[in-house]
Amino acid sequence: MSSSADANRKRDKIMNTLADITGGKSYKAHKYGLDHTDRPAVDYGDSEIIWKRRAETTPHKTYVDLSPLGKKLASREDQVLAYFLDGSRRVFKVDDISYPQSGGRSIIYPVIAGQIGVGCCRRVCRKVVPVKFKQEFVLSMPDVADADGKPGFWPATAKKLSECDELKRVGIEFSTILPYKTSKNEDKKFEDRATACVQARMIEREKELVAELVREGRLNQDNYLVKDGSLEYRPTKEDKNDKKKYQTFKNNYNWVISASKNFNPEVCEDINGKPNPGFIADLPLCHRTPVAEYENPMLGDIKFAVWYIRLRDTKQTRTPFDGILKIEKILVTGEENDGGIDSELVDTLSAYLMNERNPVCYGSDLRWANHIYPVYLTESYVKSRYLSAESFLHLF
Amino acid sequence: MSKLIGRVLATEKNPTTMDEFNFWTNSDLKLHAFDIVKVEHIENTYTFGVIENISHITDAQSFLTNFISSDFGDVDIEEPTLRVGMNYAKAKVSFNNGNLYTPVHNNAKVYLATAEEITIALGLDRIQNPLVCGSLKMYEGTSEEVILPVHLNSKFILGPEGAHLNISGISGLAAKTSYAMFLMKAIQDQYSSADTEDSVAFVIFNVKGRDLMAIDRTNDFSADAPGERDRILAEYDSLGLSTDPFKNVKYYIPYSSSTSAKQSTYLTKGDIENYIAAVQLKKFKYIYSDDKENIEMMFADIDDPAQTMESIVSKIIDKDDKDFSGLSTWGGFMDKVAEKAQKGTAGDKGDISVLSWRKFKRVVRKAIQDDMFANAVNPTKAECRLADELKQIRRNEVCVIDIAKLPEDKQAFVFGDAVRTIYNLKLGEYDAESGVEPPSRIIVFIDELNKYASKDIPKTSPILREILDVTERGRSLGVVLFAAEQFRSAIHDRVTGNCATHAYGRTNSIETSTRDYGSLPNTYKNMLTRLEQGDYLVQNPVFRSLLKIKFPKPIYKQFK
Repeated sequence: MSSSADANRKRDKIMNTLADITGGKSYKAHKYGLDHTDRPAVDYGDSEIIWKRRAETTPHKTYVDLSPLGKKLASREDQVLAYFLDGSRRVFKVDDISYPQSGGRSIIYPVIAGQIGVGCCRRVCRKVVPVKFKQEFVLSMPDVADADGKPGFWPATAKKLSECDELKRVGIEFSTILPYKTSKNEDKKFEDRATACVQARMIEREKELVAELVREGRLNQDNYLVKDGSLEYRPTKEDKNDKKKYQTFKNNYNWVISASKNFNPEVCEDINGKPNPGFIADLPLCHRTPVAEYENPMLGDIKFAVWYIRLRDTKQTRTPFDGILKIEKILVTGEENDGGIDSELVDTLSAYLMNERNPVCYGSDLRWANHIYPVYLTESYVKSRYLSAESFLHLF
Repeated sequence: MSKLIGRVLATEKNPTTMDEFNFWTNSDLKLHAFDIVKVEHIENTYTFGVIENISHITDAQSFLTNFISSDFGDVDIEEPTLRVGMNYAKAKVSFNNGNLYTPVHNNAKVYLATAEEITIALGLDRIQNPLVCGSLKMYEGTSEEVILPVHLNSKFILGPEGAHLNISGISGLAAKTSYAMFLMKAIQDQYSSADTEDSVAFVIFNVKGRDLMAIDRTNDFSADAPGERDRILAEYDSLGLSTDPFKNVKYYIPYSSSTSAKQSTYLTKGDIENYIAAVQLKKFKYIYSDDKENIEMMFADIDDPAQTMESIVSKIIDKDDKDFSGLSTWGGFMDKVAEKAQKGTAGDKGDISVLSWRKFKRVVRKAIQDDMFANAVNPTKAECRLADELKQIRRNEVCVIDIAKLPEDKQAFVFGDAVRTIYNLKLGEYDAESGVEPPSRIIVFIDELNKYASKDIPKTSPILREILDVTERGRSLGVVLFAAEQFRSAIHDRVTGNCATHAYGRTNSIETSTRDYGSLPNTYKNMLTRLEQGDYLVQNPVFRSLLKIKFPKPIYKQFK
């Protein structure tokens, strides 16, 4: 008797277990990846960004030519861009699950599963070697699945799920279940809400990894970390509550710069303080824009310095915004907050980044014009560690 | 423990098979073609592979990617990050120590092999009657470098299992003569010390300068760098060979009268006198009454579709022929021929036309215009008949016959006569004569085999016939041919086809593109065009695969 029960349990897929625990009904719907659909941004609006004053010590009025400095640095063979970090995630819609509502109706919600990978590589003697890698499997469920609304429900569910034989057999654990909001006052699709949760979790992991690198004393003025994507990190509530912790959080980013391939050109202002995408589009090769500063209330009182560099000639790219990198750095010290970043430092970092334009990943990645090779390698490294979509979906 | 150098690659497009596999390695690892690697395989066995080719790849999708990576063609651009790249090597399976030829598995560990394992992998551990034929070097230039002596089974080079050696390679760069001499030195060393009933003697033709005219004198290494002498002697030592030059050497030079201005050898008068004083040298002559059978050798290069020349020769050697029987000198013979070539000669029934006689006369007159065609031999002046001397050859003797300064037709004549004598000697034709005690094996070495056995030689050539006899029947008779030529593809198929051992030295790409090299992989073909002097690819039935070997410089006196 017990052996047949065991056998039954063994055959239990995750969705059955989940439906059991949460009291929903699993529909065994079509399972598919969501990544090739439109990539939803984290849900804070661009409009909330407040552009402030210039944020560098030399008040440049126009583009700054970096090519002489770039050549000089290339001939000296030293390097300050030593670490490269990239996080990525893959999300899948794995099932539909229904929960009863008032009046005997029930509503169907999607269940989203995600693989998160965050990796860091270091450049040693011009070769890129992996340093750290973190991987996580997460689920995102509608918040109504937690019937009682008691704290600790989701971690307990995740734990229970991980005891399932199916997962034990393949050696996988779901680290957490992220509830997405089901309230009707937002017009976003449930899938997008869930994806945003996974994305937020990934950013959380990235932050942890940066903090880890700092704690280990790896980052300093000779060893900068280049992070792929934006630096618009939100400090957690705990961060904000503890002042000391908050300062540590900011300090972590002293030796971190971010390089974004994609950016919204609408949120760039020209020297007159008006939004002017043309100012960036016309950026000549090997030049940078002056540094601007902005604050985002969503992100706390952190001030960001932002500037743009053109790596590729417009003649060789598809659009005028291809070949431009958006660089961000957090203003950490009091000096920086008051007078802006040292322009020399900006020039040096920009020149180093500009020298990263070669080699390219042309042919392997459509975004080759905006990619820098060590980041591309880090990304490839992280992606190579994913469980294949087939194997992953088969768990559900 | 062996050094782990990589892992096996097996993909849908490039699977591992029973004969080959690919594996990746660090791009800085030094490996060479012909190096042996060891792969972990099922049931705790190891599969050994011989490296055939090494490729380097990067993540660049196309050439264009690389071009773009230098700012669209700026040659001065240095990249701050090296492109991700790796080497992958293609290896041919040579052996599995559990006889399991199931393809090796993906990601299986690939190691460098130890000297012992290399010996097993190449099948060199179970060679009977070992005869050293050089040394092989693995993992050259690394800290794991291995140097091993290579032995082949002497029964597979001297018979009776397999016989004959063919060495090919371009002049000057391949050191063909040196390699043949190295092997013969190894054979002499082995047979003079071995306690076997088998015995061996050597007949060597010197075809260039004084090259082989002092093989019993030591090399003074005067033309080499200081320290070279010790290095080479140590190399001989490590191969288990003595550091002495050849022993029991006799030299034979064509006779030329001391008054004649034209000498038929490159040896100096002093050398000749010294050799004669040491009873090492004789001058050979051809006497009409004994050597008329060999007249046909003078026609080796002449087309004879109607076989008229052949019928004249058989008339001449006919004991009952009314015209030619009883003649005893070349002069008398030429007079008779001249008489036959006269218009309206009486007494002949006309079975051979006057025109044929004239052609015959033309060829023979030119051929015998040499002092070595003489009327009598004077043994007190160190003169001899070559055939008589060769009949007397004894075990471990080396006879060097100098034909370097003779014109081509006379070289052929001497070579043909010598080969015929040796062949007949081993056939037992002279067994009744006193003092005939041939060794069980006689090795004949001739350079420039293409002169006598090329594909263009007329089928009727008596010398080609002799060579074919030797290559096809010599294995059982005990006549072994060591031959060298520039272009193997030019040699008669029946000659190369009967050689058990082949040594390929440096050659050119035109040669390697011929059909004869079709069975070699491309990498090896290209390798043949850049082999260093003293490097050979050797093929022998006892080796599991082609081996790349080296041999030390000659230990006998060199003339520069």
